[in-house]
Amino acid sequence: MKDINNPYKPHVATVEDTWYETYGERSIKTFKVVFDDEEVRQNWKHLPGQCAMIGLLGVGESMISISCSPTEGEFLRFSVMRMGKVTQALHELEPGDKMTVRGPYGNNFPVDDWKGKKIITIGGGIGQAPLRPIIEYVKENRDDYEDLTVIYGARSTGDLCFREEIEGLQEKDEVSCHLSIDLEEEGWPHFVGFVPSLLMEVSPSPENAIAITCGPPIMIQFVLENLKKLNFEDDQIYTTLENRMKCGIGKCGRCNAGSLYVCKDGPVFSYATLKQVPEAFA
Amino acid sequence: MVDLEKLRQTAKDIVSRDDVKHIIGWKQGTYGFRVEPHFAAEPDEADALTFSPLCTNNLATYLTLAEKLPVPRGEEPDTRKVALMVKGCDSRAVVQLLVEQGLTREGVYVVGCPCSGVVDVKKVEKMFPDILEPAQAYWKNDQIVFQLPDGEKEVSREEVLPQKCLLCRYPNPVIYDELLWDEVKAWGSEDYEDVKELEAKSPEERWDFWKDKFSSCLRCYSCRNVCPMCYCEDCVLDRLNPTWTFRSVNLSENTSYHLARAFHLAGRCIECGECERVCPVDIPLMKLNRKLYKEVVERFDYEPGIDPEATPLQASYRPDDEEDFIL
Amino acid sequence: MMEGMKLQKEKLNDFLDGLRKEKYLFAPQKEGESLQFSPVSEESQVELDFQNTIIPPKNAVFPQTETLFTYQIGKLDIELPEEDRERVVLGIRPCDARAMEIIDRLFSWDEDDPYYFDKRNKAALIGLACLEPCINCFCTSFEDGGPASTAGLDVLMTAAEDIFILQPVTEKGEQLLSEQDLLETASDDEMKTVEKSHAEAAEKLQRKIDTEGIPQGLPGLWESPLWEKVSGSCLGCGICTYLCPTCHCFDIQDEVEGFDGRRCRMWDSCMFGEYTLHASGHNPRPTRRERTRNRINHKYAYFVDKFDVIACVGCGRCINYCPVNIDILNILAQVKEEL
Repeated sequence: MKDINNPYKPHVATVEDTWYETYGERSIKTFKVVFDDEEVRQNWKHLPGQCAMIGLLGVGESMISISCSPTEGEFLRFSVMRMGKVTQALHELEPGDKMTVRGPYGNNFPVDDWKGKKIITIGGGIGQAPLRPIIEYVKENRDDYEDLTVIYGARSTGDLCFREEIEGLQEKDEVSCHLSIDLEEEGWPHFVGFVPSLLMEVSPSPENAIAITCGPPIMIQFVLENLKKLNFEDDQIYTTLENRMKCGIGKCGRCNAGSLYVCKDGPVFSYATLKQVPEAFA
Repeated sequence: MVDLEKLRQTAKDIVSRDDVKHIIGWKQGTYGFRVEPHFAAEPDEADALTFSPLCTNNLATYLTLAEKLPVPRGEEPDTRKVALMVKGCDSRAVVQLLVEQGLTREGVYVVGCPCSGVVDVKKVEKMFPDILEPAQAYWKNDQIVFQLPDGEKEVSREEVLPQKCLLCRYPNPVIYDELLWDEVKAWGSEDYEDVKELEAKSPEERWDFWKDKFSSCLRCYSCRNVCPMCYCEDCVLDRLNPTWTFRSVNLSENTSYHLARAFHLAGRCIECGECERVCPVDIPLMKLNRKLYKEVVERFDYEPGIDPEATPLQASYRPDDEEDFIL
Repeated sequence: MMEGMKLQKEKLNDFLDGLRKEKYLFAPQKEGESLQFSPVSEESQVELDFQNTIIPPKNAVFPQTETLFTYQIGKLDIELPEEDRERVVLGIRPCDARAMEIIDRLFSWDEDDPYYFDKRNKAALIGLACLEPCINCFCTSFEDGGPASTAGLDVLMTAAEDIFILQPVTEKGEQLLSEQDLLETASDDEMKTVEKSHAEAAEKLQRKIDTEGIPQGLPGLWESPLWEKVSGSCLGCGICTYLCPTCHCFDIQDEVEGFDGRRCRMWDSCMFGEYTLHASGHNPRPTRRERTRNRINHKYAYFVDKFDVIACVGCGRCINYCPVNIDILNILAQVKEEL
């Protein structure tokens, strides 16, 4: 069978660096990987919001959002929560180890359409991973966008991803950052409470703004309610969906929410679209 | 004698009770000789209930099949009883579930329907093809009478009953809160002719037999899902980490699937034959289950699904149990 | 297009032998207790006197289990399978051929699935007109559908008294027939007899559904109590989906024996709970109610939304083989009542 254009055939990539974002049973580990094949590396093009199937031969694959912006360099970053069979095996990887990657899959955040607008990201927990590329992208193309506001929270300081990086944003890049944890902890200088409350505390204006939210379903539900309270229109609100996936190319059938295939029509959707799909928030 | 008036009235009385969620019985299906499970929660829904030689489904499977969603905060879980109509074989599933503590006695209200054997619908549909109009049937001595659009047809039981019914030793419910009509006289004798036939073959011949059958298995899992005794929340055959049986459909994995299931049912199978009935490719699964049934009876003098006070076979031990099969 | 040709029934085996020169010939044969489409190795095993096979012939282009590639544990080389052979699927019913045309749309959505089309593009479909439809057939409910519909077929074959009539539908079919030397031109009378038998067959169908309004209306019944009612007795098995000629969903698994690893795909079913189960334990379709709702919606609304055709051909298999008599026509009738 022909080798080229076989969408199921993954590429080999080497883990260049890896570190834990959070610890515990469901720890989150970030992998910085580089394709072994020069040609693959050069042909790879992705935009913020897209995903890739990463995996290990003999174990399987998982669809993971690409957590870096293409502007960062010729590498890919994935932040993976230790969950099932594949992610458990991925967590064993150390620098120099190999994984497989295929993609990129899905649509992307419409970063071109958003030029000249204020960008607000509202993330919770591991949900910050798909938001990180936008932040990086906007930072890199700073003149194309108005204010960048990052709102991010997790259950506890131990559950926050990219904390140093986000705190680092505070000082430069003209980014306004707001962090929260659910319960009081000693030495925590930022907001205490749930992300939807932090959103109300920040109260961004909807004028010429785009709000992008990603996190646990229950958080998204309340964030959406609060964005509506802040008078955001449905088409000013974006989120990403996730569902179980096997193929990534719209064939295997399982990722649909209503008639939307998350792997191809998504993962990025505007709330205006999702409102029409009752299964979207199932 | 089957008394449908009484059946429906009893069902109405039962579902009127505050402590009963619904009654599960049978109703006329959408076409031909099909009968389908019916869940009546209101008295008027009980009018559709029926009982006839077409009532093949073992409804006891629904006692454990319901997928329970988490109870919303502030709401009380529904602890009402489920009322269930059972034939003799079906009632044995209830007993075995009680034995295994898969069910509590208070959780179920059992309505017994003594049964003279239900048909093999595939045989009937072959005999009377192309009948779309809902047809009915009743027992008459040693015959089954089918009420067809062009009149009644009498057929001998031998011609249309599945083997599990022809061999049945428990036509009357072994457990019930209420019995709808008089018990029928049991007709079956246990000589395991069906099992002996296979046992008489050489291992090669037996493997050839099963190889042929297992090769055609689609792994649709209807045999497992319909089985009232297959109620593990997390079936070992769905496990991926570790994977005990690959999802690939081939002779090796199919054999692994069927043998794993047969062993898990040893001393637990209550001979309702549902696995065999639902199999779309007609794998004679009861031959496998009956072989193990026979082993269990002969070696441990144990019959599952008869005595609700019994200890499960695998949890019981007697010093004089035979050990000659232990390597 | 070439005229209708005829084949003497007594020459069938020789004809089949001619077809399978350098090709796979998929035809109905006895497997275990049931009839299935499988590659013919002995012509006499082919059975053409049947209503329809229990398992649809989709496996000729979309096998139940298929190796995507193989590898050695500890190594990184990926070995793709050999290209597949040309194939003739003989005896396929018109409904099942239409089904293939329907799932082509999914497998070619934006990009071709190379495994599917490796077989599909190499397959010639010789359909067998359905002169004795089964009780739950409802193929005439669909535009293009019918017991002698040529949609998706390369050749339509019809059994008559002691001959088969073969009518080419596509150039591929014409080419295939021109390569066979056992065929003679059929007479006008013979062609008329065949046409008559087609019309009579359509009359024999007992069930039908008017699909008008269903694709547009279905999603609006999302919260209807109907779904709970029609799924109450569902066992959650895979019969309705595995036996469906348009169901195309699959799983992908890595399977390792010793150092030999393979990544393969196998039919999966939206009626299984694990199908949508997230690694976190969350399941967007937690019960059979949601799964049944999805199955019906997928066939009658989502697929229409995406690919402009209802993903159901009226073969009746899901009705015939459901162990608890869940009847899609009955469900659709209830849907129509609520619209």
